Amino acid sequence: MQLGFLVDLHLCMGCKGCEIACKVENEVPLSTWRLRVKYVDVGTFPETKRTFTPLRCNHCENAPCERICPVSALHYLDNGIVNIDKERCIGCAGCVMACPYGAIYIDPQTQTADKCTYCAHRVASSMMPACVVACPVQANIFGDLDDPTSNISKYIQNSQGGVQVRKPEKGTNPHHYYVGGGNVSLNPLASFRPEGHDLFGKMTSKMPVGGH
Amino acid sequence: MAVHEVLAATNAVVTLDVGIPGIVWPWLVTVNMWAKSIGTGVIFMLFILLRMHPESAKNLRLPTAIVAFIFINIFLLFTLADLHQPFRMWHIFVYPSWSSAIAWGSFMASAFLGLLVLLAFLAYKKNNETFDKVLLWTTILAIPVTLYTAALMSQCTARELWQMPAEAAQMILAALLAGSATMILVGGNKLSDEAKKTLGVVLGLSALMAFIIYMSEYVFGPMKAEEIAVILEYIKGDGPYTVMFWLGQWIAYILPMILILLSRSSKSESILKLAAIMALVGLAIVKHVWLMIPQLLPMS
Repeated sequence: MQLGFLVDLHLCMGCKGCEIACKVENEVPLSTWRLRVKYVDVGTFPETKRTFTPLRCNHCENAPCERICPVSALHYLDNGIVNIDKERCIGCAGCVMACPYGAIYIDPQTQTADKCTYCAHRVASSMMPACVVACPVQANIFGDLDDPTSNISKYIQNSQGGVQVRKPEKGTNPHHYYVGGGNVSLNPLASFRPEGHDLFGKMTSKMPVGGH
Repeated sequence: MAVHEVLAATNAVVTLDVGIPGIVWPWLVTVNMWAKSIGTGVIFMLFILLRMHPESAKNLRLPTAIVAFIFINIFLLFTLADLHQPFRMWHIFVYPSWSSAIAWGSFMASAFLGLLVLLAFLAYKKNNETFDKVLLWTTILAIPVTLYTAALMSQCTARELWQMPAEAAQMILAALLAGSATMILVGGNKLSDEAKKTLGVVLGLSALMAFIIYMSEYVFGPMKAEEIAVILEYIKGDGPYTVMFWLGQWIAYILPMILILLSRSSKSESILKLAAIMALVGLAIVKHVWLMIPQLLPMS
């Protein structure tokens, strides 16, 4: 079994329901996130378009975080999920430095690394991840990549040529796919990131990491 | 010029997002690398001096072992201080993951510290024959101890700037630079003019080679990868680390090289010591800049 995620960006409308569901399900502390939806506005007024991109751990086949962790706190489960043992983590932040997707953070409450686990605890009970359940348009598709009859496998088959991963040049082989993505939505260097106020409040681009 | 700046149609601005992590490895890691360079570098220098200038270096066994011991402990202390869960440090020794450079480094640094204690004891007992035998193994171990941080940095897949061959060379050069500078200061009048010349040559050449590598990266790095181009913008023009970067290059490399040439022509020990002090101060600045700038890049 190899679990994977696919997000159809044609369907995503940026409601952030997945983000909130993840926060509630996993008790993710303030100022940190396991899953977030990024808005990027493209073009020049009046010819503009807004893109929405849910971002979470990619559960890479060749995960740099798992490789750099000195105590195997980050480890693979049999179903392909890159899981984290917070009791074992020493908080060296090597995984935060290694992850090319910025998907790992230091939990300010436990002072250990944390990230999306594809809701491994729910999956173990044959439930879908919280973000999948919360999505009102079924933009999040989750399932077994090894099973050709699973929804995700069929979706990938039907979207041949339109399936992308983030930063393929890193050689991490992510198990997280996007349909309908573009350079702006998947490449953080393709958009300008201003300091100051954004749509709903002040956007601070640099947050402190844990206790330092 | 980035893609989003090329055309009005591709103009892209992040309009809603969460705060992304700031500096993950702070100045504590800079001190870690700097102290390790001194701790391993003085061992390299003692090994060289005992073979090239045995008479001059014979009284440096105990002082060098003590200096190395102190700086390796500083390195370990700051490594520990940088952990968010320092009291779980023992997990590395109980649950080591051998794919991680951190695990290898922890074991090697611990063994290195043990050898330094043994060296200090042998020097105190004036057992020079055994000391020199143990020094050989300590010097051999000092090589991977100083290199493992380069391996760790190269394991940071997200930080394109840190590539193993260049970082490995920089770590060794930093150890030679810091080691020779420290030995010039520690050795003082105990060193013969020839021994000082040797240390000056090591200091000058390691400064020159490190400077060449940094300048190569500075000029040619942006031609290889988009991420490196963006990272190096932080040390160019009005970048937040431009002043610190050039300050480091001048204090660590350019000025010491000039001062060493002057000290050779004038045979001035004071100028040599000034070069040594500048190299040590500058090295900390250079290391800090190179540690910080890849962390400023948004990853997602």
